[in-house]
Amino acid sequence: MAENLLMGTFLLLVLAVLINLARLWSPATWLDKAAPLPMYLAAAFLLVILALRVTDSGRLPLANMYEFSVFMVLIILLGYFFMRRSLAAPVFDLAVALLLTLLFAMLGSLPSDLRPLMPALQSRWLTAHVATAILAYSAFAIAFCLGIIYLVEANQEEAALKVIDRRIYRLVVWGFALLTLVIVTGAVWAEEVWGNWWSWDPKETWSLVTWVVYAAYLHARRTSEWKGRRSAWLVVIGFLVVLFTLFGVSILLPGLHSYA
Amino acid sequence: MLDKQKKANKDLIAWLSSMKFAIYLLILVGAVTALGTIIPQGEAPAFYLHTYGDGVGAVINLLTLGHLYQAWWFYLLMLVLTLAILVCAFQRLRRARSITTAGSLVFHLAIVVILAGAGWSLGYARSALVDVAEQQAVNLADYGFGAGQLTLNSFAIEYYPDFQPRQYTSDISLTGYEQQDYNLKINVNNPLQAGNLKVYQSNWGWMLKIKATTNGSTQVMDIKDYDTFPLGPGPDNAVRVIFLPDYAEDQHGAFSRTTLPNNPCLGLSLLQSGRTVDMALIAPGEEVRMGQYRFSFEDYAYYSGLQIKYDPGVNLVFAGFILLLLGLLGRYWRLFFAREGD
Repeated sequence: MAENLLMGTFLLLVLAVLINLARLWSPATWLDKAAPLPMYLAAAFLLVILALRVTDSGRLPLANMYEFSVFMVLIILLGYFFMRRSLAAPVFDLAVALLLTLLFAMLGSLPSDLRPLMPALQSRWLTAHVATAILAYSAFAIAFCLGIIYLVEANQEEAALKVIDRRIYRLVVWGFALLTLVIVTGAVWAEEVWGNWWSWDPKETWSLVTWVVYAAYLHARRTSEWKGRRSAWLVVIGFLVVLFTLFGVSILLPGLHSYA
Repeated sequence: MLDKQKKANKDLIAWLSSMKFAIYLLILVGAVTALGTIIPQGEAPAFYLHTYGDGVGAVINLLTLGHLYQAWWFYLLMLVLTLAILVCAFQRLRRARSITTAGSLVFHLAIVVILAGAGWSLGYARSALVDVAEQQAVNLADYGFGAGQLTLNSFAIEYYPDFQPRQYTSDISLTGYEQQDYNLKINVNNPLQAGNLKVYQSNWGWMLKIKATTNGSTQVMDIKDYDTFPLGPGPDNAVRVIFLPDYAEDQHGAFSRTTLPNNPCLGLSLLQSGRTVDMALIAPGEEVRMGQYRFSFEDYAYYSGLQIKYDPGVNLVFAGFILLLLGLLGRYWRLFFAREGD
C-alpha cells in the first residue's frame, strides 16, 4: 500500500511540473485552476503514508532518513499552500513542484524498512531534534524557491521584488531560529549519549556550515552592497548546503549520524 | 604620530565591527569548517602525502589541515570571531534600548560564552574509556581523575524479538568521589552525573578467564574477547581468544548464532612469534593441550566499556545555549509573534 502511494505521489508531482510548464508556455485559466490539484492530492497521499507508518511502528515517523524526507516533503507542501494564497506566480508553483520531484527521486534510493530504535536513538531529544530539523529545512526550501524567482524575475518592478525579498527574509529568520534549535538540541543530546556536545561529526559540522551561511545572509541583507541579488544568491547557496548536509553527507562522509 | 596611531586603531575597530567584515568572516568560517569534513581528519602525515601526492600532501601537512579543528590558526580564527563580536557588541551597548537590539546583543554574546566554554573544556576536560568486568572495580585516580572507586556490579543487554539490541545497562557504584557515593543503573542516553564528572555506557564485550599450566607453573588470565595475551615462560608465546557465546557450525565453519550465551564456546589460538601454531575449541570447564601448555576455560563474564569524563566547561556552554535562544527570541520576537518585523 505504502509503495503504491509513494509511486502515486511521485507521479502527481511530475504531473504538477508538467502542468506548470504548460502554464508558462501558454497561460490559460483552466490550467491555473488545475495547477494546485495534484499537489493537494500528493499531500493527502503523504499524510496517509505517514499515518500508516505510525500505526505500524507505534512511534512518530522521525527515526531515519526515509521518514525524515517524506515528512519534509509534506511540510514543504503545507508551507507552499500557505504561501500560495497570496503569491500567484506560476514560476513559484513550478519551482516547488520541481524541487519536490527531485527530493522524491532521492527518496526512492533510501531504505524504507521499519527497524526498531537502536539504543542511541532512544532519547527524549529525538522528537525535538528531528522535528525542528524538518521545519527548518522546509522553511529554507521554500525560501530557496522564492530566491530562484527573485533571481529569475530580476527585471520585474521593484515593489514586486521587495515583497518576495520580505518573504524570503521571514522564512530565513524562522529557518535560522529553528536550525539554532536543531544544533542546540543536538549538542545537548550528544553530550548525553556520546559524552561530547561537539565532535566535528560531518553531519554536525555541515549543520554548522548551513547555520553560518544563513547567518551571513542575515548580515548581508542589512548592508546596501549585499542587499537584493547577492542576498538572494546566499539563500540559494544556503539551500544547496542544506541538501548536501541532508543527503550528501550521509552518502559521502560517514560519521556518527549513521542512521540519518 | 600619536594621532596616526589613534586613527589606525579607530580604523581597525571600524573594520572589525563592520557588517562587511562580519559577512566575509562568516563565509570564511563556513568554508574552513567544511574543508575539515572533506579532508580526512586525524591521520598521520604520511597518509596525506600518499593520498594527495607530494605537493598537495605537503601543503596539507604544513597547514595541519589533517588536524584542522585543533590547528593553531583555527583557534586564531575563533579568537578573531570572538574579538569581532566583542568589538561590535561594545559599540552597540549604548544603543541597546529596545528588546530587539538587546536580543541581538545577547545572541552575539552567547556565541562568545559558548566559545569560552569550549575553550575551558579544551584546557581542563579529561576523558577515558575504561573496560570494567562485572564485579570488578577501577580507581579513578589511575586514569587522571580525582579520588574515587568505580565498580561494575552487573551488566545486561536487552533485546528486541529479532535479537537487535534494545538497550545496554550497567549497574555501577561510584564511591568516595568528592565525599559522596553514587549507585545507579546507567544506559545509553542516561549517564551517571557526579558534579562535573560523568560516566557513560559506551561499549561492551566478553571477558574470558583462562588458566594456562606449563611445567608445573600456572597462570590465570582475564582476557578480552579478540585480545592476545603473552604467555610465560619465554617472550615469544601468546594466546589469542575468540568467544562464540551461541556456538553453531555450518559448511563455512564455526560461528555464533546470537550474542546470548546459549551455547558458549571458546576458540583458542596458540601463537609463536606472531604465527598461529595450534588452534582449539573448548566449552566452559573443559581443558585442552596445545604445545607445552594445558589450557582450561574457567569462566566468562560481560565487561562494560565505561566512558568517564570530567568537563567543567560544558555548563558554561549550555548556559550559552540558553542565552543564544533567549537572544534569538528577543531579536525576532516581532517577526515571530506580531506580523511585522524590520
